[in-house]
Amino acid sequence: MQPTLSFEQAPPISVPFRFFLTAPLFGAAAGLILAWLGPAALESRWAPGALAMTHLIVVDFMLQAMCGSLLQFVAVVAGANIWRPHLVATLVHPLITAGAVFLATAFLLEEQLLFLLAAGAFAAAMGLFLTVMALALLRTPARGMPIHVLRLALLGLLLTVVLGVTLAATLGMQESVQSVWSLLTLINVHVAWGLAGWALMLVIGVSYLVVPMFQLTPAYPPWLTRALPAGLLLVLCLWSLQLLPNLAGAQAWQSGVAVAGVLLAGLYALATLWLQARRRRRQADVTLVFWRGAMLSLLAFAVSWLAFDALPQFGNHARAPLWLGVLALPGVFLSVIIGMLYKIMPFLNWLHLQRQGGTAMPPPNMKQMIPEGAQRGQMRLHFAALALLLAAVLWPALALPAGLAFSASCLWLEWNLVGAARVYTRFRDRIRAAASQAADSARP
Amino acid sequence: MPEARLIDGRGMEPPEPLELAVAALGSLAPGEELVMLLNCEPLPLYAILERSGYRYRSERRSDGSNEIHIQKA
Repeated sequence: MQPTLSFEQAPPISVPFRFFLTAPLFGAAAGLILAWLGPAALESRWAPGALAMTHLIVVDFMLQAMCGSLLQFVAVVAGANIWRPHLVATLVHPLITAGAVFLATAFLLEEQLLFLLAAGAFAAAMGLFLTVMALALLRTPARGMPIHVLRLALLGLLLTVVLGVTLAATLGMQESVQSVWSLLTLINVHVAWGLAGWALMLVIGVSYLVVPMFQLTPAYPPWLTRALPAGLLLVLCLWSLQLLPNLAGAQAWQSGVAVAGVLLAGLYALATLWLQARRRRRQADVTLVFWRGAMLSLLAFAVSWLAFDALPQFGNHARAPLWLGVLALPGVFLSVIIGMLYKIMPFLNWLHLQRQGGTAMPPPNMKQMIPEGAQRGQMRLHFAALALLLAAVLWPALALPAGLAFSASCLWLEWNLVGAARVYTRFRDRIRAAASQAADSARP
Repeated sequence: MPEARLIDGRGMEPPEPLELAVAALGSLAPGEELVMLLNCEPLPLYAILERSGYRYRSERRSDGSNEIHIQKA
């Protein structure tokens, strides 16, 4: 069945745009932290700089962009009515932003109060966001695999936030929950739900729609569309069993569960690359190249994980998790997000301007809203920054150029997105001026 | 009777067919027909047509694609 999109439910353009225009700025901040702290930020995954950068990327870049997109996507794809989207965005957006700034600063300064403030901001922001999303997705009449996967992704976000808020509150109060769980166990489960249960699940659900529709590929095989989310969910549930005290020691068994999850992720990447190789159009636009880069990064992540598992002399290295983190965050998720932003923002511009101008004042061409050359240049810088970040994990002396390149790529993205927003405001003003001129001349 | 204009959007990347359709609507003469061939059901286009005073009729073809006939109401 061909999926369809409905646009009558779309919320005001300012709802998603505020999230999109904030997200890259925090990526730029993460890059500057790396440049500032240098090799110290890459000592291990537990280095304060590494934790601060990671959370700036996953919360302030990824979560911002994903929340903004979801407010739009759920209304459009699921035809679901979101309760007062403008009010929700007005509350959730500053709370996420503040929460991530508190959290990153808390890691850098090791300041307890900031962890507590971050926990409070995230609990409030995500509590509201998830309630609104859950209500919309439970009531929607829409069916189909993308909707089911979207629901699973939101469950993943809920568990990630509950575990994250627990961790931040624990660090903030210096209260240990270690009598029940070790901090490491909580972190293991938090990271797994965040990366696989939320972010990857969301990418999978979105790709079922956008890869065939926008990249003109054949559809994903139906068995795969069912097997991937179900398999991932099963792996995550088994992985979470380490929270049960009597299973805490089952290291070997847990490692097998992780390998199964990684194989599923690798299978998804291969399937997507295979479909993209069979698309009906030969010309590769920027979004397609971003998706390909993301899928190649996911494949590299899977291969690296398996290699680290087989060769403990590499896998036990303090910087091995950083290698995986760079592949997953800037490599997989930011690549997909940036590629999608270059499609979403011009399309939303066009859609909202068309509504205002009608057929009398057709909106500007979508392809001219963010110049192709600017998109391509930013994309090259993004992948160059990714390569530099991976090199900096191997040779931490490269932290300064890697951080600066990543920061520059995020700022260029911001410039391109602001340009798209300005196209919208300029044309909207022209429509308004024409309407008021017509009203003036109609007056006797 | 004027000849129908055709937009074959089956090999185009969405939302290009939508963009072309809206551009064509402005110059559609009374009685003239715009025919679109698409792989999906263009719900956003239907909404635009209803808002802008056009009538349309959609047929599912044997190959699974949709044929949409558009005229000024």
